[in-house]
Amino acid sequence: MATREETPKAPPDALVNAATAHPWSYAAGVLLVAVAYYTAAKLGLRLALVGRNITPFWPPTGIAVVAFLVLGRSVWPGVALAALVVNLPITTGVLPAAATAAGNTLAPLVAATLLAKVGFRREIDRLRDATAIVFVGALLSMSISASVGTGVLVASGALPADELPGSWAVWWAGDAMGVLVVTPFVLSLVQPWRRPGRPRWKHLEAAVLFALIAAVSVVAIGADPHLMFLVIPLLGWAAWRFQQRGAAPAALLVVVVASWAAAKGIGPFRAGTMLEKMLILQAFNATVAFCSFFFAALVSERMQAHQALERAAAGLEARVRQRTSQLTEAQQVAHIGSWEWLIPQHRVSWSDELYRIHGHVPQEFPVTFETAVDQVNTEDAARIRSNTEAALRRADDHDLPRIEYRITRPDGAERVLLGKAKVYVGPNREPLRMVGTVQDVTEARKAEREHRIAETLQRGLLPDRLPEVPGIGLAARYVPAGAEMAVGGDWYDVVELPSGRIGLAIGDVAGHGPRAASTMGQLRMALRAYALEEPSPAEVVRRLDRLVSRLLMSEIVTLVYLVLDLDSGMVQFANAGHPPPLVVRAGDQISFLEDGLGPPLGCDDPGLPAEARFRLVPGSTLLLFTDGLVERRGTSIDEGLQRLATVAMDCGQDIEAFCDQLLCSMVEDDTADDVALLVIRPLPLTGRPLLRVPAEPRVLAPLRQTLRRWLRESDADPHVANDILLACGEVCTNVIEHAYGAKEGPLEISLDVRDGTAEVTIRDQGSWRPSSGVHGGHGLPLIQELMESVELAGGPDGTVVRMRRRVSSRSDS
Amino acid sequence: MSDLARVEGEQQGTICLVRVHGEIDLSNAHEVSSEIGVAMGQEARRLVVDLSDITYLDSAGVALLLRLAERLRSRRRQLQLVVPRGSPVRRVLDFTGLPRVIPLESRLEDALALRDHPLPDEFP
Repeated sequence: MATREETPKAPPDALVNAATAHPWSYAAGVLLVAVAYYTAAKLGLRLALVGRNITPFWPPTGIAVVAFLVLGRSVWPGVALAALVVNLPITTGVLPAAATAAGNTLAPLVAATLLAKVGFRREIDRLRDATAIVFVGALLSMSISASVGTGVLVASGALPADELPGSWAVWWAGDAMGVLVVTPFVLSLVQPWRRPGRPRWKHLEAAVLFALIAAVSVVAIGADPHLMFLVIPLLGWAAWRFQQRGAAPAALLVVVVASWAAAKGIGPFRAGTMLEKMLILQAFNATVAFCSFFFAALVSERMQAHQALERAAAGLEARVRQRTSQLTEAQQVAHIGSWEWLIPQHRVSWSDELYRIHGHVPQEFPVTFETAVDQVNTEDAARIRSNTEAALRRADDHDLPRIEYRITRPDGAERVLLGKAKVYVGPNREPLRMVGTVQDVTEARKAEREHRIAETLQRGLLPDRLPEVPGIGLAARYVPAGAEMAVGGDWYDVVELPSGRIGLAIGDVAGHGPRAASTMGQLRMALRAYALEEPSPAEVVRRLDRLVSRLLMSEIVTLVYLVLDLDSGMVQFANAGHPPPLVVRAGDQISFLEDGLGPPLGCDDPGLPAEARFRLVPGSTLLLFTDGLVERRGTSIDEGLQRLATVAMDCGQDIEAFCDQLLCSMVEDDTADDVALLVIRPLPLTGRPLLRVPAEPRVLAPLRQTLRRWLRESDADPHVANDILLACGEVCTNVIEHAYGAKEGPLEISLDVRDGTAEVTIRDQGSWRPSSGVHGGHGLPLIQELMESVELAGGPDGTVVRMRRRVSSRSDS
Repeated sequence: MSDLARVEGEQQGTICLVRVHGEIDLSNAHEVSSEIGVAMGQEARRLVVDLSDITYLDSAGVALLLRLAERLRSRRRQLQLVVPRGSPVRRVLDFTGLPRVIPLESRLEDALALRDHPLPDEFP
């Protein structure tokens, strides 16, 4: 609440400040004060009781105090000058007059200074202001002028010394009355009207009131002193209705009449000594002044308190209105409604948003528990009822289990709502109140379901595990987009081709969600089908391009498809608008395979994708990836590729760790796009390599290719190499056909070359007898013919065949 | 079509010439066998299978050839193989004694020039 500004305390040098700042207005102020003082003095002297210069009511002091309070203490010369002029004719000389004038100037100065010190407010609308002006401004300060004035009179011989106390009292009382009566009156005149547009009847009331006061004063004081008390209720009226603005003039009026009567010796002042008259007059005046002041100040204070209370109440109401509207808006934005159930009263209230959630106009109908539950679909309503009954039985404050339920709106739309509620019990543990919120989660549930479907689709569409390819290390990763949690269309695949070669593909269907995932699945299957039929990668890509065009897939589809020969390490590939694969060669040489690049699929570009080739030598690593790995907000794709090259430089020994390293360095947590990557590395066949494959016919061709590579790298004579290859083929065929029956099982081949002799050990975990295998029983004899030594050991844990053959004339030891 | 092995057929009068390229093992033996059957047609009296471009053939391939010969025999037709001397396949065939059952020539011209000859009496 706003407080009215306190009257500023005058700075110490206020006595001269105004004089130097605005000389003309200062001079005018001084003159105005002097004239006012002089005029008031002339009026006051008419009421003189003691000689010519001691009067029971001395208005100039009130004028001087007002002048110092309003214009500042710097106008003191005006007061001093006027006081001198007034005193000159009524004192015995210049010196006594000057001394008296000094006293008359000093007293109001002290009064104004002290009032400023105690924080006096010119409106006199607080009790402390009234107290301040009575005790500090009037009674205390005016003892100065009384002492100086009467002192001068005695000293100059104008007054007998024995009359000093009485004269002092009259002087003091007169000055004090001047302050008490005139100061508030003039202050009330110079206050701006705080409430403009005061009703006209109020002016009329004021006029009537003052006429009454004047009449009653004159009649009571002048005619019948017993009726003097009649002015008191009138003063009260003035103070109550008009505060200081009414009380001050009323008091002035009454005091003037009383002082005039005392001066003229009429009414109550007809008889008695001067001291008696004086006492009666001052007592009366003081009563009038005090009553009016204090009463006015009290009324003002009470009114202010009332207004402050009203303002606070209005502010509070505005805040409540604002909060309520904020809450309503928040509910609308979040699609959250709220309700309250006053259980003993059987009253339920719904928020506006809850009506909207239920498909109604806010506050369209009164709600009860039953009507609320009736809106819920039958199967969920039973659950809500039983939850509620259980909650009401439990005799304490607690949360109800949150519940998801369905409603059908009047227009037939079904919505899924999430309800949370809490019950409160009374002092006797009886349920009093239940409150709750209801959130419309229809859209969220729909989005979650779609996301789940898409993710399931994608996980189902990507290879659940990579094939075990002899002599090759393979690792792959798929990371869905983090930020939107949307499933994308990135994919990869590894296809074991009938030729024994390996098809490697990575692709990207633009967009997210089930649609992209399903397109990706179709493409992946189509690629598999074409790859099984068609050895040329460029031709496979061309067929896919035709398929995408025919199926009118609207998405942008990119892919790179490679065929790797396990024996020679030769890779043929074709690229349909996909980021180029990366090769890390031994010695950390990095290169991107930028050849063989054509447009994305389905662009109706007549140009056939070019086919390119390169040799993936042992010790190199091939990395296929989608753009999610190299795209990052705020950086170009070239920067991404550059960064990838730097990270891939240190690809390490383990390709699984390499994948983790790549994702960790390249992909932010909230990646906007999904990421797929596939890492291929020919394993070194030096030392004692171990090949582990499933015992299935399709592994025979790739196994032969890897064995050929091993034999070549072991410098085997070509004829000898053929024999070893054939012997291994025979053994593996037997394992595949007979070791596991209809079940699946592993086939392990370990290779070793020592002192120019190759040793091949083939293990399985099944059981077979060489005699039972191979058509016509040629198997074992053929193997024995091809190899120099063959050892066969069968046991419960499987069968081991160890074969040796010298591969070269020179010794490698 | 699988590209581990490739089968091409060609009709030359009463002779059907089938060339097989690539490798034959357990994974494709059955497929190659049925492709040869398709390539042969109904009319041919004699089938010449040229294995010159075969780079790998193991006992699964041998079994395939034996089955094929048996099937032709039941339909009174002849099977002849062409395998060059020094071919890695020749060693397998020789070792399994297959040439004793199925006539085998080193050169295609020789196989095509042969007249129909009576079937061997013995079949292991």
